Amino acid sequence: MFSYYLKLAWLSSKRTWGMSLLMVLAIALGIGAAMTTITVNYLMSANPIPQKSDQLFYVQLDAWDPNDPYFDNGDPPDQLTYRDATALWQAKKAPRQSIATGVAGVIEPADKEALPFMAQGRANSADFFPMFDVPFLYGSGWDEQADLNKEFVVVITAEINERLFGGKDSTGQTLRLAGKDFRIAGVIKRWQPQPRFYDISTGAFQDSEEFFVPFSLMAEQILGQSGNNNCWKPTESGFKAYLDSECIWTQLWVELPTKADVEQYQSYIDAYADEQHKFGRFARTRNNKLSDVMTWLEQREVVSEDASMMMAMALMFLTVCLLNTVGLLLAKFLGKASEIGVRQALGASRRDLFLQHLVESGCIGLAGGLLGLVLAWLGLEAVKSMYGDWMAELAVLDLNMVLLAILLAIGSSILAGLYPTWRACQVQPSQQLKAQ
Amino acid sequence: MLSMKNISKSFATDNVVTHALRDINLDLAEGDFVSVTGPSGSGKTTFLNIAGLLESSTSGEYWLDGEDISKLDDKGRSRMRNQKIGFIFQSFNLIPDLNLFDNVDVPLRYRGFNAAERKKRIEYHLDQVGLASRMKHLPSQLSGGQQQRVAIARALATSPRFLLADEPTGNLDSSMAQSVMSLLEDINANGTTILMVTHDNGLAARAKRQIFIKDGQAQELRQGQHNIHNLAAV
Repeated sequence: MFSYYLKLAWLSSKRTWGMSLLMVLAIALGIGAAMTTITVNYLMSANPIPQKSDQLFYVQLDAWDPNDPYFDNGDPPDQLTYRDATALWQAKKAPRQSIATGVAGVIEPADKEALPFMAQGRANSADFFPMFDVPFLYGSGWDEQADLNKEFVVVITAEINERLFGGKDSTGQTLRLAGKDFRIAGVIKRWQPQPRFYDISTGAFQDSEEFFVPFSLMAEQILGQSGNNNCWKPTESGFKAYLDSECIWTQLWVELPTKADVEQYQSYIDAYADEQHKFGRFARTRNNKLSDVMTWLEQREVVSEDASMMMAMALMFLTVCLLNTVGLLLAKFLGKASEIGVRQALGASRRDLFLQHLVESGCIGLAGGLLGLVLAWLGLEAVKSMYGDWMAELAVLDLNMVLLAILLAIGSSILAGLYPTWRACQVQPSQQLKAQ
Repeated sequence: MLSMKNISKSFATDNVVTHALRDINLDLAEGDFVSVTGPSGSGKTTFLNIAGLLESSTSGEYWLDGEDISKLDDKGRSRMRNQKIGFIFQSFNLIPDLNLFDNVDVPLRYRGFNAAERKKRIEYHLDQVGLASRMKHLPSQLSGGQQQRVAIARALATSPRFLLADEPTGNLDSSMAQSVMSLLEDINANGTTILMVTHDNGLAARAKRQIFIKDGQAQELRQGQHNIHNLAAV
């Protein structure tokens, strides 16, 4: 009977094509607006590393101004001082730990014809790659020894490898970076976690870096730091003083596979803060936090309230569109009262009629959903053109979103069709048959 | 095959109760052809609607083909309508979007026949009413008489034992009316029981039995070759 109902839906839509078109447009507009905002929110709030997001913890300590908390709500600062981060990293109290900061440097291609160019990079310790499951195309990251020995090794992206080495395996070759020769240890595949959870200090949806070097080189002033740097008291002159200052510009992630590991590490950082307190630092000694990936993103409000508000408004708009559809469907179905009466006389049960009209509602929903997808795509293109490159990765309809759009459209149109369908099934055949 | 005992129907609106039918008693045997006449508003159509399970009576018993109708739910009543009753209406009530083939197909779909069986029945019954060559036409492309013939083909497609006709010739000119009446007589001669409401005394007289309804009460006008029933006195 389903195919029969489909045929009837088609004939019915054809007969009242103007009304059907209005309904399809109403649903399409609602779906288009809803899917545009849902897509952006969905990608913003997606888990960027689902396989181990509950094992990776961001470390926060509070060495900030005793009289003026970093955040109004009293949360500890979002980055660490160099001295605290390196102290915790060197203590190796977690199975894995990654200390990092953003850097920038000029890359000089070996081809003398090619111009040098500025690239964004990351100075991080060896565990960064295995901790965050960074995918390698060639080679690998470096080992702990390279960190300790401050070796000039580098990991580059496939894009840089393509640009400088034509995409061939460049491991072992030399990269001229920031005026120094770096040995290429590995080339990573395209890797763009959304959000870029491991460093959201300069925005959660920035591009991932083009190269990676050992963090220990930061002490050698090889590369310039590139990222947020906040200080609450004056620093003495000289780079060493800067490293020892209370300025925050480094991030520390630890991998803690078990609950016991988390508890132990929390005790450790509390003890560390207590000890520092004795030296006159850490006025808020017990303001130390370990946050897993999703908690951290939530805490830092990666999905802004504006975006959530936009989504709520888009869903309300969808509701308005559906209410319009309810009215149109009601008019359409009640206009078919005589046909419904005839069908009842010829043996259709209320259930048969209910299914027939529900299929018709679903078909309108499907058409609205497909058109809505086109509108959502246009909406996302508009978002990209308005907000620029940083939205490019967020404004993409993936398969999940396409399926969601279609399901949402069919589901909501069936929902919108329930009342009109129920009303249509209440038609008294005897009245309709005589009334003709 | 059809038995009504003390069937009454009343409508209540605010404080006013209107009695459309009062204590109707009727027995129809297999092969009967009964005409129902009466002035406008006498309750003829209400009677036909109750007989065709399109309305429920307020009180009384109604048995059709051995089944107590009052015990049936919507699904059961739909099944009975589909399997045992064929309807012919004054205004034909063909579905305008569907061509003749698909119009006749409607009750067969609800009956659950497979495609081959449906096609066979549709072609046979449209052929019987002389419209096999116009299967793909829409109802609007036919004359009134032809539309009524399609409605008859549709009513007969499920091989019902009981045909209900509500003013089947009411919208037709006299020659077409005669032709449709002849068709109904042929159908009855083949064993289908017919209950026909009409205003036309001439056509009513051609039925084997005649019932006259007035003010919701029924009277059998003349004795046919079947059992005489004591209908409520007028």
